Amino acid sequence: MIEIRDLYKRFGELEVLKGISVDIKENEVVCVIGPSGSGKSTFLRCINLLEKPSSGEIIIDGEKITDKKININKIREEAGMVFQHFNLFPHKTTLQNVSMAPIKVRKLSKEEAEKRAHNLLTKVGLEDKANVYPSALSGGQKQRVAIARALAMHPKVMLFDEPTSALDPEMVGEVLAVMKDLAQAGMTMVVVTHEMGFAKEVGDRVLFMDDGVIVEQGTPEDIFSNARHERTKLFLSKIL
Amino acid sequence: MPFFGLILGTISGLGKLSRKKIFRYPCIVYIDFIRGTPLLVQILLFYYGISGLYSNATGNSLQIDPILAGIIVCSINSGAYIAEIVRGGIQSIDKGQMEAARSLGMNERLAMREIILPQAFRRIIPPLGNEFIALLKDSSLLAVIGVHELLKSGQLYISRTFAAFPVYIAVALMYLLMTIVISRIVAYSERRLGVSDRN
Ligand SMILES: Nc1ncnc2c1ncn2[C@@H]1O[C@H](COP(=O)(O)OP(=O)(O)OP(=O)(O)O)[C@@H](O)[C@H]1O
Ligand SMILES: [Mg+2]
Repeated sequence: MIEIRDLYKRFGELEVLKGISVDIKENEVVCVIGPSGSGKSTFLRCINLLEKPSSGEIIIDGEKITDKKININKIREEAGMVFQHFNLFPHKTTLQNVSMAPIKVRKLSKEEAEKRAHNLLTKVGLEDKANVYPSALSGGQKQRVAIARALAMHPKVMLFDEPTSALDPEMVGEVLAVMKDLAQAGMTMVVVTHEMGFAKEVGDRVLFMDDGVIVEQGTPEDIFSNARHERTKLFLSKIL
Repeated sequence: MPFFGLILGTISGLGKLSRKKIFRYPCIVYIDFIRGTPLLVQILLFYYGISGLYSNATGNSLQIDPILAGIIVCSINSGAYIAEIVRGGIQSIDKGQMEAARSLGMNERLAMREIILPQAFRRIIPPLGNEFIALLKDSSLLAVIGVHELLKSGQLYISRTFAAFPVYIAVALMYLLMTIVISRIVAYSERRLGVSDRN
């Protein structure tokens, strides 16, 4: 469903992605691991064009999104993104956070968008928080709202950039549970995460990135128990 | 005046942040010129300068309404200061806000209007209030082109009664009263708008 060919990304002199090629199938959950600075976020951000690839191509559902003629906003509607620091809109209520893009971008009626937003909030267990502002939510609740907000656009793929790493430990579980539900409902997901438990339980495939390339990939079993490359082993020994 | 200044300031503040040079450079020139020259000079330049140019060019004399001239100059002047306040406000908003908006498929304009500007405006209410107070006080300079603002009216009154001290004190107190009212309005709107995004 997503084909990535020879993806390069440079920031001035600094080459961050050095030729990434990978296919992601529909309904697949791909976890990306790797040391800090290896280019994981940049890789994810290229998939919804928050960063413009320097070269290479990305094809989502047969549509070549790296084409110059493509409407970037349309692409972004198809790929939902969840950030490490939530990035909820602080001047909007939870309900408005979720219903806003469908109203303004998809041109849904307010009633329809709010009905869907209520459903999504119920799905992430926050129906009772519909009318509060983000400042009144805990970190875990914020991230669940952020997931609902991304889902409201009916994306074809969901991208998660370390969605639990800014959370207190006791809140990690509630967010992972929502993500797990999502995976089981068949959502295609690319997740940058160091939650090995999640990767093992929910992930179909794990990519290990280092220094701008995919060093090794395989099932969670393969990577966590039988890594072949020294760099992978070294990294895993540090975080496990 | 505060209203026109706010519109002008928002437009040129946004312009200065624009990636396009055709928007950015005129805004930078405008902001730097206004902030780098005294308001008194701007008032005289606009009022006498323009009518002078007009009569040199056409031979006819041009009578600009001093009040209108005063409103225009003060708006242009405060617009430049407000532009810098607006720009600072926009830049103080976390970059993640724009990214989140863009990742939801909003285009840059929509994201700016719905996400960035509302947050920036809440944050810049206090400096905007200061700017309005400065503008109010600076309007006393309009006396030089004969606008009957507060100070000029006081002076006229003195010329009839010769009671300089009491009249100037009264003028000062009236300015004080007006600035206090503005501060109160600012504090009130800060409280009203601040409730939703206290972090
Ligand atoms: N906008 C940018 N401009 C310049 N350099 C950047 C930019 N964004 C990222 N980089 C650099 O690219 C490299 C990879 O960054 P990236 O955020 O993709 O790494 P990461 O694997 O996500 O790391 P982390 O685990 O710390 O989040 C880093 O050296 C970073 O400094
Ligand atoms: Mg990162």
